[in-house]
Amino acid sequence: MPKQILIDPVTRIEGHSKITIQLDDQGAVEDARFHVTQFRGFEKFCEGRPFTEMPSLTARICGICPVSHLIASAKACDALLAVQIPPTAAKLRRIMNLAQVVQSHALSFFHLSSPDLLFGMDGDPAKRNILGVVEAHPTLAKDGIALRKFGQEIIALLGGKRIHPAWVVPGGVSEPLTEEKRVKILASLPEASILIERTLSWFNGVLEEFREEIRTFGNFPSMFMALVTPHPNGVHQALLEHYDGVLRFVDAAGNIVLDQIDPLRYQDYIAESVEPFSYLKSPYFKPYGYPDGIYRVGPLARLNIIDRCGTPKADQEWAEFRALRRGVVLSSFHQHYARLVEILYGIERIEQILNEPDILDKHVRAFAKPNQFEGIGVAEAPRGTLFHHYKVDENGLIKSVNLIIATGHNNLAMNRSVKQVAQHYVKGSHLQEGMLNRVEAVIRCYDPCLSCSTHAIGRMPLHIQLLGPSGELLDEVKRN
Amino acid sequence: MRRTLIIGYGNPLRGDDGVGWRIAGRLIEIVADEFTNVLAVHQLTPELAEPISEAELAIFIDAAHNGEPGSWKCESVAPDSIPSNALAHYFTPAGLLAYAEAIYLAKPEALVLSIAAATFDCGEQLTPGVEVVLPEVVQYICALISRPPKVPSRSYA
Repeated sequence: MPKQILIDPVTRIEGHSKITIQLDDQGAVEDARFHVTQFRGFEKFCEGRPFTEMPSLTARICGICPVSHLIASAKACDALLAVQIPPTAAKLRRIMNLAQVVQSHALSFFHLSSPDLLFGMDGDPAKRNILGVVEAHPTLAKDGIALRKFGQEIIALLGGKRIHPAWVVPGGVSEPLTEEKRVKILASLPEASILIERTLSWFNGVLEEFREEIRTFGNFPSMFMALVTPHPNGVHQALLEHYDGVLRFVDAAGNIVLDQIDPLRYQDYIAESVEPFSYLKSPYFKPYGYPDGIYRVGPLARLNIIDRCGTPKADQEWAEFRALRRGVVLSSFHQHYARLVEILYGIERIEQILNEPDILDKHVRAFAKPNQFEGIGVAEAPRGTLFHHYKVDENGLIKSVNLIIATGHNNLAMNRSVKQVAQHYVKGSHLQEGMLNRVEAVIRCYDPCLSCSTHAIGRMPLHIQLLGPSGELLDEVKRN
Repeated sequence: MRRTLIIGYGNPLRGDDGVGWRIAGRLIEIVADEFTNVLAVHQLTPELAEPISEAELAIFIDAAHNGEPGSWKCESVAPDSIPSNALAHYFTPAGLLAYAEAIYLAKPEALVLSIAAATFDCGEQLTPGVEVVLPEVVQYICALISRPPKVPSRSYA
């Protein structure tokens, strides 16, 4: 008779979730599942609202990545207006999105994952936390704060408001960039660059210590999907892209499965399955069916599908990253590395954009009334590709909303990763700290944002149950 | 005057969860100045440790799960020596204070003003029982920041 281990909920991720690990008669792990247990019904909540409210409404789904929703939503609204937004507006939105990527990645790496990286997965739980990091490696902790602040300040400078920025609007942005703000942002870049390069150097130094985790943390063949720069003329190198572009799918060997896909056609390639054990939907690659159509999104996917990043230092670091493995990098443990490379890229790219000659152009918004009944907006959020899909009536009131969130795209991969780690580390019928931490840590590699994916928000104590063949409780751990 | 930081937090799209956010919005208009920094945020995040470190008094305003809806209390809070909640995306006031102390060696006096909520369901409005206490809470905080330290714990039910 099978046994079951339950980890409920998982800590250091956003939202409510639990993990069940099913043991077989011999006590070996047969299956493992990552459950998302809270549901908010945000899509229903939006129905009947004027579409113009959607950017500021959806920005409030999440306190960690509001800008990503703001941007994807504004792009969906641009589509409803059927306008081409001014080029400078697109550049300014792009800067804000990159700042968001930097600050979100900084939260994930420094505040959530650095304790594991600094103290090891078996480190003393009393020390293996951010306060332990402050004590043992204060520079690392301070660099984390500073990089998050760097991104947040750019968002605040552009957004102009202390409460959710209403600067990104359908048709563009509400205010042009001033020279004063441009200079201020430019002045903050060198320090940010020093911090991330120092962190990369530290991280590369400790990577060797995690050989076993690299081998077992979500290290399996799958496809990867993300936006890349388009190539209208047919010959190009696909560069890292967070704001616009086209979809590309590559397989586990690095072969391009699909390229230059207009993101507006996402429904031709992505379908969503619903499992009874989770509120989190499971998107899959339609041509391969469910669940064979598993794919991953996010920093690891983005670095796996491009031909280069497109900025000098990030290109160099990307080459090191890709040298980790022939073909594409499969281990989800390397999401951490990919995040650091993307922070470096974000800093460089922001500088490039700020130095473009039209960045202070005053024409930053196109005005129109709704001209389409359906609009789709796609952007790369820190955790992966984000789709906002709206339908409106003749008065511009929302009839239906579909959001596909990065954490959703990764749902199948997170489940498979949990299973892989559980099969490798879970032994016997008693719960051990190092084992539990690894099961959680593999999920943290994806930095799931369950606020976004199920549109819920919550706090997470840890509850772990080990259930015997008939469902009897064999062991239990609770952490508040 | 003491340098004061007021942080109202919560999700304004989840009913009474937005009460702290709304109070902060009002305070931004009426008390924010060079000595008083008021922030309205969705949730507590680690970089808030920095403004906390610059304050002599930090006031956190949040919705509470427990209590008669609309009842509120103001209590002292100390840095949390067990930083469990400081491990998630979501920080607690105690965890943030611990963080500010560890990184910046700062230990401001800190208070948590919590207002019991009736609902955390989807909705942009506060319930009437919570809405009605906003003026007295705002007034209480205004009085609080202009008076000397050591405010006694106070609650209204």
